[in-house]
Amino acid sequence: MELYLPVAEMSVNWLLLIVLGTGVGFLSGMFGVGGGFLMTPLLVFTGIPSTVAVATTLSHVTASSMSGALAQWRKRAIDFTMAGVMLGGGVVGTLFGVWLFSAMRRQGQMDLIVALTYVIMLGSIGVIMLRESLASLKAYRCGVTPSRRLVNRGWIQALPFKMRFRQSRLYISVIPPIAIGFVVGALSAIMGIGGGFIIVPAMIYIMRMPTNVVMGTSLVQIIAVTAITTILQATRNYAVDIVLEGLLVSGGVVGAQLGVRAGAKLRGEQLRLLLACLVLAVGAGLFYQLVARPADVYSLSEGVP
Amino acid sequence: MKRALLATLLLIALFCILPSPFGSGGDAFAEELVSGISQDTIQITSNYTGTDIVVFGAIERAQGATGRGIVVIVRGPDEPMTIRRRDRLAGIWVNRDAARFEWLPAYYYLASTEPVSHIAPAETLRRYGIGLQSLTPTTIGSHHDPEPFRQAAIRYHQRSGLYAENPGSIDFLSETLFRTRVPVPAGVTRGQYNVEVYLFRGGEVVSAQSTPLFVDATGLERRLFNMAHNAPFFYGLACVFMAMLLGWISSVLFRHSA
Repeated sequence: MELYLPVAEMSVNWLLLIVLGTGVGFLSGMFGVGGGFLMTPLLVFTGIPSTVAVATTLSHVTASSMSGALAQWRKRAIDFTMAGVMLGGGVVGTLFGVWLFSAMRRQGQMDLIVALTYVIMLGSIGVIMLRESLASLKAYRCGVTPSRRLVNRGWIQALPFKMRFRQSRLYISVIPPIAIGFVVGALSAIMGIGGGFIIVPAMIYIMRMPTNVVMGTSLVQIIAVTAITTILQATRNYAVDIVLEGLLVSGGVVGAQLGVRAGAKLRGEQLRLLLACLVLAVGAGLFYQLVARPADVYSLSEGVP
Repeated sequence: MKRALLATLLLIALFCILPSPFGSGGDAFAEELVSGISQDTIQITSNYTGTDIVVFGAIERAQGATGRGIVVIVRGPDEPMTIRRRDRLAGIWVNRDAARFEWLPAYYYLASTEPVSHIAPAETLRRYGIGLQSLTPTTIGSHHDPEPFRQAAIRYHQRSGLYAENPGSIDFLSETLFRTRVPVPAGVTRGQYNVEVYLFRGGEVVSAQSTPLFVDATGLERRLFNMAHNAPFFYGLACVFMAMLLGWISSVLFRHSA
């Protein structure tokens, strides 16, 4: 049952990791998210160093996004121009994120930065999703179709460098997609996530892309960002473990397909409510670790930075 | 004449059995240690979960068990280490102070006939680096008292099974033949280890022996580790390619089954 991870330099129970990969893959298929935000904390709980956990989870996200993107591509529901523009910001963001990651690791603040970013991101997104899904469930019960709140697009239209995105039927400035790409790229490197739960709302509410191309375009963007981040993490921090990746990904891709089938049976609002609870639970767990008195206030890292 | 010869032989025999009253400073009657290990390399394979090695030895010209102490030490390669202390800052535990040590062994296991403090005075133990409390590395650029940080480093390694002191764990098979089992846990680093065996008498080292022990990965594990460090770009590319391939395969498989 034990398998030696050559980069993490430790033995792990391989069955546990395949089950973990399948479980997270199932949830990610069900909710249509990459699952990185669940995988990284869970790997850290099992004792894998957080640097390896962050860097290796990215491949899990690449793989589970791959099958989703292929399905969308067959439906011709991908705006490659938009994905390309966002990726421009994404590459710079990734470089910045990996640089910050190494710098924080030298300072001994990497764990803190990862945990804090997680608590802030998961906390705020969980609360927004919870409110939104509760409101729409209530509206559904009262028999009212919820009207989507319109975000004022005035300031977006006022920005320069406009470009035509044929597939999305949009004529907007390239600044918002590049900025969103940058933020997601940086977060991807620090948190080991694809960033779907940031890109999708941003595409819908800020850029007002049509919903049918949002899924495919965000998946292409996620694949590209996670692939680049994996290579950067491998070259700069030597933190990607290919054996761990194999275990997580083989479980993950199977779980994701099963999750998609399970998700089709649930209503959207219920799904989002469940996902919101899950996001909040992970966030609360990480927050508790930040504020609770540690078992030993001393910690060790090898090497003299 | 015959009686005189017999008396001489008896005297020689007595000399061999009884502890020498003239001390043991390098004369032909001094006790000497011969030791060995069950294996001189530990191979880390894909199913490596830790192993045991056996250190055995014999005392030549033994002079009795009283006042004798044996210490077996297995030491891993020295590595620089940084210890950080967390403090509460606005309700959150944040790493604040740090102490950097020039070296600390990655692995340290000590087996002895009795607690080392009973075997020799602290000064001698420190000189030979015997016992966890004798590991006193130099600190680099540290402005505060490094002692609590050093203790924390020892504690940390003890928790992960990499440092241990195990007095009373040396088995005597006869008056002069001994052995001890040294656990080498899964988390050990690769490199050259050293097995040191000390024979003490009256608080002084009478004889000592050191044998190297190599810990290394083999086969695929070794190749993957080397590739990750020597060709990280292609390694990263391989990781991405594998993820995409598996994602694609699963989507093809499930499309047809659905």
